[in-house]
Amino acid sequence: MTRVLVVDDEPQIRRALRTSLEAHGYEVATVGTGEEGVVGAAEQAPDLVLLDLGLPDIDGTEVIRRVRAFSEVPVIVLSVREAQSDKVAALDAGADDYVTKPFGMEELLARARAAMRRKQPDASTEPLLRFDGLEVDLPKRLVTLDGDQVKLTPTEYGLLEALVTNPGKLLTHQWLLRKVWGQGYGTETTYLRTYVRTLRKKLGDDAQAPALIVTEPGVGYRWVAETTA
Amino acid sequence: MSSAMDRGVSEVEPRRFRGLSARGAFIAVVAPAAAGVASIPLARNGPAAAIALFLLAIVIAAVAGGLWAGLLAAVLSSIALPFLYGAPRFRLRFDGTEEILTGLVFLTVALVVGILVGGAAEERARAGRREREARLLGHLSSRFVSGDVPDRVLDDFVRVLLEPFGLVSAEVLVEVDGTQMNARAEQPGLTPGGPDTVVPLVVGPVSFGTLRVERPAGRRPLGPHEQLLLEAASKQAAAALDRARLDARARLAQLDAETNQLRAAMFSSVTHDFRTPLASIKAGVTSLLDRSVEHEPDQERELLTTILEETDRLNRLVGNILDLARIRAGALIPTRHEAGLDEIAEVVVARLAPRLDDVAVVLDIDEIVPSVAVDEMQLDQVMTNLLENAARHSPVGGEVHLSIAAAKDRVEVRVCDSGPGVPDEERERIFEAFYRGESIPDSPGTGLGLAIANAIVTAHGGRIWVEETPGGGATFAFEIPVHVLQPPEREASA
Repeated sequence: MTRVLVVDDEPQIRRALRTSLEAHGYEVATVGTGEEGVVGAAEQAPDLVLLDLGLPDIDGTEVIRRVRAFSEVPVIVLSVREAQSDKVAALDAGADDYVTKPFGMEELLARARAAMRRKQPDASTEPLLRFDGLEVDLPKRLVTLDGDQVKLTPTEYGLLEALVTNPGKLLTHQWLLRKVWGQGYGTETTYLRTYVRTLRKKLGDDAQAPALIVTEPGVGYRWVAETTA
Repeated sequence: MSSAMDRGVSEVEPRRFRGLSARGAFIAVVAPAAAGVASIPLARNGPAAAIALFLLAIVIAAVAGGLWAGLLAAVLSSIALPFLYGAPRFRLRFDGTEEILTGLVFLTVALVVGILVGGAAEERARAGRREREARLLGHLSSRFVSGDVPDRVLDDFVRVLLEPFGLVSAEVLVEVDGTQMNARAEQPGLTPGGPDTVVPLVVGPVSFGTLRVERPAGRRPLGPHEQLLLEAASKQAAAALDRARLDARARLAQLDAETNQLRAAMFSSVTHDFRTPLASIKAGVTSLLDRSVEHEPDQERELLTTILEETDRLNRLVGNILDLARIRAGALIPTRHEAGLDEIAEVVVARLAPRLDDVAVVLDIDEIVPSVAVDEMQLDQVMTNLLENAARHSPVGGEVHLSIAAAKDRVEVRVCDSGPGVPDEERERIFEAFYRGESIPDSPGTGLGLAIANAIVTAHGGRIWVEETPGGGATFAFEIPVHVLQPPEREASA
């Protein structure tokens, strides 16, 4: 059974999450402080952590940092709309994704599933990734759309590779820039924006109803397509 | 006469006839002498030419040296003429009526010319003085109506007085509505300790304080005309202070009224807008919890959908109220990052489109949109508010266009609807908090969206406005200045 650790200081939220998650077949443990959260992540070895950023004792970002010292467990951050920079800090500290309070359970469960899928072995080691008509052959660095080869520049391919090998994870601007362009980069979001735009166009993705790449303004991008057999 | 101090308005009472200066005396001697020498070659033709030359010399002396120089030249000429042309030449002789008559004519000419020249000089001085006075008062009045801060106006006031009045220092000390203000100006390089004058700053029955001016040591006190002028200037200063005081009071009163009005509007809006969704949610939930009734699956679903929608509505309302509170507290400070308005627009449309099912949203984005330094969440809020507003005022089945266009130094976003439009007289007020269009009193908005959009755009150094959509409807547009422009490097396709 999939175990979920909920770290939130609001009893109402804990209760609502426990009820809904148990109804979906998860095994749920809840704690109210950051310290308990770190301990819980170590002792219970959960498959997923849902972490509120506004905890009474230690900062949520600090909790992620401590958990990341011993575990690669998927962490989804729960945060209010206003705390935009906290979200980016949490993602840079190692969180996988975030949902904004108040959130719908449907959305939370979708993010949770995506984050846990990524953690399954061989999810990203598969050499040929197929998303409906789109195929990415990682060893050959070849991309085809409905059988036709898509001509990508090396940077465009690097960007696509970074996205498809981290499905469901919200990749921050800084992370993507360093990964694709190199360590010296981190603030040149205009580059990134332009390349994402071109990539979307070449892959036939619609920014207004994205099936492949979802934009989180001011934060980053997320690959949302699921692999198909 | 040489000091700069004595020029300007301080020359207010020029003596009508200057005394005989050294220069005047010199001219008075040289001119008749020159006339005498010049007349010698013409002497055998009689004295007529000599008389004409002497007259010329007298006129020159009177014009150049003043009345006394003219008279001196006339006396010298009367003596010289008979000496040159009298019967025994080169001998003084005063027995003939002819000579006496010539002398009298010379004196009369000198007198007439001297008086005329003196009068003209006085007229000139008076005109110059009037011009300087007009300039001073004009300058003061333009400063005073400029609506500048009283402090700065007073500083300028005392500084302007220094030169025209030949002052070593000028100082005002006033009290306006309990606030004491003073300003002082000094002319460097002059010795203080001369005569001083104190002038009150009064408007009608209200006295604001005093102006004290000081002349340099050893100078004469201000004359009566200068005093009058100083009083006129002080009256202007007092009137300006009075105006500033009344303006401040009016502004305060207006602010007070606005705050009260806002508070009342907020109260009624908050009570109504919060309670309505809360009422629906509570009704729905209690109904679902009620075990005594058996709900059909359809009914249950409808109740739950209502609860969900009302929760979203409450959430938006809380966000708006929070934003408004931030605006009011001056805490709406954007956390800026390089971002693309095109991306934000796409995300907003992707999020809103399913909810706005009565209208179609058409997105039109320029090929290249430069990055702008913005708070993405806040700009998301602006576009969300404008789109929701446009959708609310669109006819069912209408289209809302959201376009993003790059200009040289800014990015412009336009949201066009085909609704009833905004009447001219409401185009300013529509951006005020809790203002709902009078032409559509039952509009379902919170009356906050546009006010928040306005505050956010302004905080980004941008501008927001409303105009008519060609063919009918309202177009809300805003622009954000571009700060950094980094074109990404080009590379070839593999």
